[in-house]
Amino acid sequence: MDAEMEDAGAQAKIEWDGGGGGADAVLGLAGGGPPVSLCYHQAFGSHDDIVLLEAADDLLPDLLQGRVTVRGRPEEEAVLCTPSATYSMKFVGTSNSMFLIPPGEPSAKCLRPDSTNGDANVVAATIKLAPGSIELVRTAPRLDKLRSLLRERPYILDEDLGNDFEHMKGLYTWQNLCKLIQASDGELLDGLNTLSAVEIDGFWRTVDANSVNTILDMILHNSVLHDWPLNAMPENDVLSVMESDGFTHKIVTHCLNRFGTKVEQEARSFWSLDEKRVCLQFAQRALGAGKMKLANFMDKWERSIPSGMHADLQMLEGEVLCEKLGAETWVHAFSVADLPLAPADRFAALFRERPKWEWKDLQPYIRDLRLPGVSSEGLLIKYTRRTQPSAEAEPIFTAR
Amino acid sequence: MQIRVQCGCGESSCPEWAVVELQGVVQPQASFAGDIRGLHIGRLCSAPSPSSSSKAGYTFTVGYHELAGTKVTLKKPLLVLRKKKVNAGCGEQEPPAAAEEVELEVIGIIRHKILFKDRPKALISKPPTKEKKTVQPAAK
Repeated sequence: MDAEMEDAGAQAKIEWDGGGGGADAVLGLAGGGPPVSLCYHQAFGSHDDIVLLEAADDLLPDLLQGRVTVRGRPEEEAVLCTPSATYSMKFVGTSNSMFLIPPGEPSAKCLRPDSTNGDANVVAATIKLAPGSIELVRTAPRLDKLRSLLRERPYILDEDLGNDFEHMKGLYTWQNLCKLIQASDGELLDGLNTLSAVEIDGFWRTVDANSVNTILDMILHNSVLHDWPLNAMPENDVLSVMESDGFTHKIVTHCLNRFGTKVEQEARSFWSLDEKRVCLQFAQRALGAGKMKLANFMDKWERSIPSGMHADLQMLEGEVLCEKLGAETWVHAFSVADLPLAPADRFAALFRERPKWEWKDLQPYIRDLRLPGVSSEGLLIKYTRRTQPSAEAEPIFTAR
Repeated sequence: MQIRVQCGCGESSCPEWAVVELQGVVQPQASFAGDIRGLHIGRLCSAPSPSSSSKAGYTFTVGYHELAGTKVTLKKPLLVLRKKKVNAGCGEQEPPAAAEEVELEVIGIIRHKILFKDRPKALISKPPTKEKKTVQPAAK
C-alpha cells in the first residue's frame, strides 16, 4: 500500500458515529443468547477510511498507547514503526465476505424487507464489508537514504551557516529525519551512531573527514604538550584547552567519543583513546583515494600514528583491501561504510569489486548485514556460490 | 511523511467489534440493489458445534440457505483503524500547503470472528416461512 493512503471516495456519505452495530450480541450468542438478526447498518457503505490492521499480541501495547507511526514518502512502500522496530505493511485481500459489526446499541431495527421478523428483536448491523487487512512483517530499517542525506552537507570546522532558510538545504533535524527515513526511532538513532553523526545546532550532521583529522591532531598535540596519557586524558582539561584553541565542547566531545571511551575515576572523567580507531583514522589519511604499494603504505602509516600506538593490518578489516599484482602487494581503500545496506545490493557491489572472495576477506564486509529471520549463513547461500577445490583449501565465494 | 497511530480508548477498554465471515458474496434481490441500508441479511443462532465440541457453533440463515459455522479466536487480533484528517494549525510544520495531516485512530479491536466456511445448505421447506430455523449439525 502507499504511504499516503488515498482519500475516502467522496461519495454521498452518511454520518456515522462509529457505533450502532451491536457487536456484543453477536459475540455473546455462543453463550446462549437469543438469535440475532443481522442487517445492513443505516450508514452501510464502503467506508474507505476504515482499514484493518493485523497486529500480534506483542505489538498491541505500543499500538494502543500511541507509540506507533507509519512512515514513508508517498512514493515509498509504507512501513509501521514501533519505538524499536520496523514492519512492512502488506495489504492482503480476501474473497470472502467479511461483515464488520461495530459495537454499541443498534440504532434502528431492521426495517426491510418488512418489520415482521417475528421474535428476532435482537439486531446487529454491519457497517461495511472489509476487502482484506494489512499484515505486518518485521523488516530491516531502510537506512541507505539516511547516509546519502547526511552526506549532502557534512559539518566543516568554522563553517558559517547564516540565518536565512536558503542555507538550510542539506540540513536535517530529528523531526525531518523521522519523516524521511523509514526506520523506528531506536534504529534511526543506531543508524546515526553508525554514521558517527552528531547533533549540532539542532541538525544531525556527519563531520567532514578533514575537520575530524584537524581535531584529532589537535587533541594528540595537546596531549604531548600537557603530558596527558592517551589512556587517561582528563576531560575538563582537554575541553578547556581545546576551547581556547577555538574548538567547541560539542565537536571535541564528539571526537573523543569517536576515538575513545569515557572512564569515570574518583569523581573525575577521563578519556581513553582507542588504538584501533585512532590508527584506522591515520591509515585512511595515509592511503587517500588511490592505490599504494603495501610496504610504502605501512611505512607512511607507522610514521604518522601517535607514539605508543602500534599499527597492525588487522585493524583495517572492512576498510582496506590488499591485492597481489605480480610480486607486489598493493592496497587501496574499500570501506564497508560506503557499501549499500540491502543484502542484494551489498553482494552485487562486492562482486563488482572482486569476482572471487576468500572468507577472511569477505567476512568483514558482510558481518554488519542483519535481516530479521535470516542468518548470515542463509545470506551466503542466497547470494553466493561456494567452491572449495580440496578439503584443506580455503573456500572461495563467487556470485550466484 | 509520518502518520501517527492514535488511540483514544486505551489498552484495556478498546471496544470489541464482531465479524461475520462467509465464503462468496451475499446478493440482495434486484429490487433492493440500489439501496441496501437497513436491509435484513439473515438470522444468526447459536447451535451445537458442527465439528469439534470445543468451539461454539453458529448457524446463519440467509433466505432459504443455512450456513453452519464456528466462533474462531484470531491468532493475531485485528485493529480497526480510521483515517482522520487533522488540520495542523500550529505553524511550523511543512510551510504552506500541507495544512492537512492524516492521523490513524484505533477505534476498535477484533479478537473473534464467526466463520462460515462450508457451502450453504438449502432449507427444504414450503415457501416464504423465513421463521423456519432448523438447527442441525451440518452434514457433509
